[in-house]
Amino acid sequence: MRDVLRGWRDEVGDTYALGLVRVALGLLLFASALREARELQDGYFGDVFHWPLVPEALVPSRAVYAALVVTQVLLAVLVVAGHRARAALLASALLGAHVLACDRLQFHNNRWALDCYAALLAFAPCDRSFQLGPPPVTRVGPLWAARLAQVQLSMIYVASGGSKLLDPDWRGGQVLLERFRLYGGQALDAGVPQWLVERMSQADVTSVLAKLAIATELLLAVGLWSRRARVFALWWGVWFHLVIQATSRVEWFTWLTLAVYVLFVTPDVRARRLSFDASRARGRWAARAVRTLDWLARFEVRPWTPDGLRRGHAVVVVRRDGTAATGLRALAMVARCTPLLFPLWAPLALLASFTRGQDARVTA
Amino acid sequence: MPGALDLPPRARLLFAASWVVLQAALVLTARTRPDGIFGFRMFPEASTLEIHLSREVGGRWVPAPGGEWSARDAAGQLRHFSFRDRVRDPVLSSLDVRVFAAYGADAQLARLGRALDDVADHVPEDGETTRLRAEVTVWRNGRDPATTVLASRPRRSP
Repeated sequence: MRDVLRGWRDEVGDTYALGLVRVALGLLLFASALREARELQDGYFGDVFHWPLVPEALVPSRAVYAALVVTQVLLAVLVVAGHRARAALLASALLGAHVLACDRLQFHNNRWALDCYAALLAFAPCDRSFQLGPPPVTRVGPLWAARLAQVQLSMIYVASGGSKLLDPDWRGGQVLLERFRLYGGQALDAGVPQWLVERMSQADVTSVLAKLAIATELLLAVGLWSRRARVFALWWGVWFHLVIQATSRVEWFTWLTLAVYVLFVTPDVRARRLSFDASRARGRWAARAVRTLDWLARFEVRPWTPDGLRRGHAVVVVRRDGTAATGLRALAMVARCTPLLFPLWAPLALLASFTRGQDARVTA
Repeated sequence: MPGALDLPPRARLLFAASWVVLQAALVLTARTRPDGIFGFRMFPEASTLEIHLSREVGGRWVPAPGGEWSARDAAGQLRHFSFRDRVRDPVLSSLDVRVFAAYGADAQLARLGRALDDVADHVPEDGETTRLRAEVTVWRNGRDPATTVLASRPRRSP
């Protein structure tokens, strides 16, 4: 146990992905500050009924609150730009938490989660990539705070899944059944087929869905930490949150969680190679697409000089372990490593598993 | 500032342990808070409720449809009052209609109880009303309705 703790405490790695998470959190903080500004235009919450956690004397006046909102906008800009980003993250988190404490009517789980992640990321070297200004001396840095943010995500899953598991109405499907009854009309208006809405509004179906949702949350809390299960857990989690986003109002929670998922990627860059035939349009197009979508810098993309193995292929992907993939397997590999294509990874990988003999070990 | 945020190894463990203990405590005690805040209880219920407001005048309860009422001030001048002047929350300010109880019925009832006190404290020109009351019909997760009555604290100088 002591070795595990020491390993966690002293772990270092490439912090490239942390920069991407910082930018995503900065954009969400920016959106959150803009929402507060819009709400302020409609009226200041302190002038009407509010329910503070802190003593009323600590609730700012309208003018101070306006200044605070402007400050939050500026801090979010600093976070996105990567200039004094860590201090800006911590200040954003503290101000955000204070606003929540000034009026618990404004409390939403996603807002609290954003403040928590921003606070934790402030302690991680997340300002060494995706930043304005000169490049850092090194991108390698301690990862303990990023790991703590990952623990935070797992705690959220356990809290959410656990509270549902302990609630007989939830685990029995009653809560979902009533939600479908209440919002089935909206689903119809949105173009969901009537037969599907009717089927989903049946007790036996919602009972199964409830158990699936609870199992998903609890298993994600664990599965994300398993080296073997991680990719599938991430893929399942992505779809879980996309479905929630499409069917419920959760503000920015989906995008926040998906941003935090990035912390689970292996902390290295360009550990895979994508070689393409520059003489073929398909190869050039694939290379350009991967360069554009490869936000996590998973691939070293370069043209090849055709040889015996690669002849006949526009693209060859070489994995970390040195094995090469072509065709559908290469496409599955690209989907696995690029955030925008990641939702397609599992079906592509399944299809690719039926293809024959397209993998080979590259010894060069 | 980043220097101060680069914790030495021993402080990392202390910080992480404190963070986890704090979050665990907030999650485990969420049930003790009516609105369950800081507990990450997502979609806790699918309850709905309908609020009807009334006010106590001379020992009798008088309905205030839509949260609106008129009353005379100390000088005998007739004035108009609205619950929504103070309460802007989309759930609490939807009176006489059935609405979704975001974060659960208990959360909304707790908020409503405080909203009644707040409104009662902020209508100094109302020289007639001694208390406000909300009769709330709650459909908890689609079950048969149950009615709860909440009242504000008595006003000091109606």
